[in-house]
Parts: sequence; structure tokens; C-alpha cells
Amino acid sequence: MTGKDLDLHAVTAGEVAGSGVAHAGALVAFAEAIVGDDDEALASARAGVLGEIGPEALVDAAAVASNFMRMVRIADSTGISLDGPMEVLSQDLRAELGIDRYGSAANTPPASALRRTLSRVLTPLAWAALKLYGALSRRPGAES
Amino acid sequence: MSEFSYADAPVAVRADLPAAHRRAWRRLATPGTWWTGEERVAIAAEVRNAARCGLCRRRKTALSPHAEEGAHDGLGALPDAAVDVIHRVVTDPGRLSKAWLEKTLASGLGDAQYVEIIGVVVTVVSIDSFCRGLGVPPQPLPEPESGEPSRRRPPAACPDGAWVAMIPHGRAAGPDADLFGEGRTPNVMRAMSLVPDEVRGLTDLGAAHYLSTDQMMDLRAGRALDRAQMELIAGRVSALNECFY
Repeated sequence: MTGKDLDLHAVTAGEVAGSGVAHAGALVAFAEAIVGDDDEALASARAGVLGEIGPEALVDAAAVASNFMRMVRIADSTGISLDGPMEVLSQDLRAELGIDRYGSAANTPPASALRRTLSRVLTPLAWAALKLYGALSRRPGAES
Repeated sequence: MSEFSYADAPVAVRADLPAAHRRAWRRLATPGTWWTGEERVAIAAEVRNAARCGLCRRRKTALSPHAEEGAHDGLGALPDAAVDVIHRVVTDPGRLSKAWLEKTLASGLGDAQYVEIIGVVVTVVSIDSFCRGLGVPPQPLPEPESGEPSRRRPPAACPDGAWVAMIPHGRAAGPDADLFGEGRTPNVMRAMSLVPDEVRGLTDLGAAHYLSTDQMMDLRAGRALDRAQMELIAGRVSALNECFY
């Protein structure tokens, strides 16, 4: 939505330099500490978010992180597959980020030749549409 | 019943969160679809107990979770199969498998019972993680309420590509008509639809913790954190749990 390119390795590898997301370092450290079991690391990460971004952001960060501690367990315990459109559009990105090596990738059947072709055609169009949507939304007076 | 006041939190907590948590705790305590209120609270207690389980600790560090045999350090209030589900989902969700679930269901646990366990487990994990994130102790579990489960299985639920039956797209009707919004519903929101009340709980809690269903497609939706920051946290938590979805 900002028009910036983002480096998604901040998500998979915690590499925040160049992520393009404000306060990425503090937020990634907090996410990692919530998933981990080191209470001292969590206390430090909590202080980091509080100091850098403020109390309301800390509440939001805890809420989002805890929400996804829930969502990953729903997905992994029910064996759901990736939704069709996402499966088509994310093929290259998943390969680049190494997500296809996760054990739960087995729950999504391998893409057919037709789907792989659709991915090659649709992915650049989808990203262009998303950038256009972002640009239009940033216009003054644009409504959600 | 717990107050969820968060008065001892280091920062002020916006009101929609404790309100959602109180509703979730109330749902926990009341009879569900397949488990009584007492059993649902016992599931919640076992969620908290899983972190102390020696078998789970050994399995987590083993190359394969099947390499370690033994019994869980359970609290004794639930069948062994239920305790195994709870402990595995809490401690090692990324290595669950269809084969394991089939073996679990063959032992006598019903598929809808399994889904309701998942619903209770993830509710407690979510709220307890939030408390931990803020640095406050977990809230006391609620007192269970008496009564029988409804034992209602949605007629539209059927095999639909996951390990458990789900209500297919466009088929939520009658008493289940409120489950999904307009348009195509993501699989993760249909995943627990074999027990519709667990989807209702998921939606309610998700709106406070993350975004409402209506807000999902609004890339500008956010609060103190903007959408990109929210998705960074969501993605990092998911990646650390090696969740492909």
C-alpha cells in the first residue's frame, strides 16, 4: 500500500534489513520471542516494541502474534490445502522463500501443468493489479 | 468466571480484546457440540499442562515424532486419544500427519470430537499467548456449566480436500447460514466447520486479535500497527511454526 517493494525474507528468515516495514526489527524480535520459550528474550522484545512504537502497538503485536499461534494450529491439525488462487499465484514466491519444504506443504497437491502455466501468466498480472489497487487507495479521498 | 480486566498489564488494553476473551471463556465453560462444559474446561487445562509433558519434550527434539514412544504426562481427566491430540497440537503442530489422525480416529475418537478439541485448544493457545506477550499471568480457567452437548452434525459437511469433513463453499445454509461471508471462504475459515460453533468462536476472537472478515481485503485496515506490520508478525509466527498455509 505504500508503493514500496518489500523483502519477504524478513518473514521466513527474520532478515529485516531492506524489509521496507517500519520497526521491522522490533516486531520480528517480538514475534520470535512469543513463539519461543525464553521469557527473558520476550521481556526484552516487549520492551523493544513498547519503546520504539508505543503501548497500543504492543497490544496489537501481542494480539496478532497470538492470533497466528492459533491459526497455524488450525491449518496444520486439519490438513487443509492452500486455496486455489493463492496456490497459483504464490508458486514462484514459495519456491524463492523455501516454503515448499515445510512438512505441511504435503497437504496441498502438486500443481498440475495447467496450474503451473496459469501461474506464469497470472502472477505478473496479479502483482500489477495489486500495485494499481495500492496506488488508487493512496489517492486523497479514496475509500476502503 | 475470570474477569479479564488486564488491570495488571503493563499497558492499557483496548476494550474489544478483554470483551472477546470473556466471550471465549464463556463458550469454553458451556456445553459444546460434542463435549460437556466440564470436558471442555478439562481440555483447556490439558492445553496448559502440555508444556510440562516429558514425552512431548522428547518428541519435539527427536528427528521424527514417531521415534519416541510412551505415555503423556496427562492430568487424567480425558481419554488418552484426546490427550495425545491436545499435546501434539500444542507442542508440535507442524509435524501432524493424516496417518496419525486416521490412527487416532480409529482408536475411537470421533472426527467432530476431534474438531471441537482443536477449537478449544487454539482458543486457549491464542489467549494464553496474548497474556504471555503482554507479560501477565494466564487467566484462571472458568467454572464449567452443566448440560449436555447438542451433538448436531451439519448436514452439509462432507469430505472436501482436508483431513476432516468441512462445509463446502456456498453450502452453509439454515442454522449454519451465518458461518461464512459473501464470496469464496478461505479454507482456514472452513477448516472447523464440522463443528460450526468453533467457526463462530474463531471469527469472534479473530476480529479482536487481527481483523474482521470484512476487513481482510482492505489493505489499509489496521490499528496502531499498519497492515504491513501486522502481516510481518503474522508471517514470521507462521514461518517459525513452519506452517505452509
